[in-house]
Amino acid sequence: MAPLQRRALYSLLIGIVCIIALIMIFITRGDITAFDEDQGFRLIVYALWIAVPLVYLIMVNLTLRKPEQIDERDKLILAKAPKVQYVSVLFSLVAWTIALTEVYREQGQIPVIYITLIMISTLIIGTIGQSLGILIGYWRGVSHGQG
Amino acid sequence: MARARIKNRIRRLRFDHEEMTQEELASRAGCTRQTIIALEQGKYVPSIELAFKIARVFEVTLEEVFQYEELN
Repeated sequence: MAPLQRRALYSLLIGIVCIIALIMIFITRGDITAFDEDQGFRLIVYALWIAVPLVYLIMVNLTLRKPEQIDERDKLILAKAPKVQYVSVLFSLVAWTIALTEVYREQGQIPVIYITLIMISTLIIGTIGQSLGILIGYWRGVSHGQG
Repeated sequence: MARARIKNRIRRLRFDHEEMTQEELASRAGCTRQTIIALEQGKYVPSIELAFKIARVFEVTLEEVFQYEELN
């Protein structure tokens, strides 16, 4: 397994664990109103929010800083990974839009706290999408001058 | 536009050159061993630069390492 591939895998696993942790926190600590009112709850969520992109940056930068561990194929895979990131972020935003529209259709307005949550999820999904893009690149293979 | 694929004889050439290891080829061509593995598995088509470097390691022409095939 290539060093970049290995670190993208670790980054993806940590990202998934953080997402599961976030969901578990929401289930155990209460609903969206608890997030709005409980400062401790918000701090936990913010910590996880920062943790995922930070882990990704550290993991991938560790590889990029060692030129002997990375070559043209790794760079090509890294350059193509944002395609997956773009699609995953797009789908997450579509999911948020549909869910919020359906849940709050009667009220005609959406609680402002959702803006923060959408931002948190976009950043985490974007990071996970980048890691996933790298892993897909290694799995499917890449070619110069083809796509 | 016709579909095409680029095949290579890297595994064969390594065998012909005193069973050169993937690690040695990678080191001499300036890439990682994982890239040599991907090339041999047909999961990667290299840049022109790397293709020339690999051909030079084996002291053969580019066409003796890589073959362009149009698919029907």
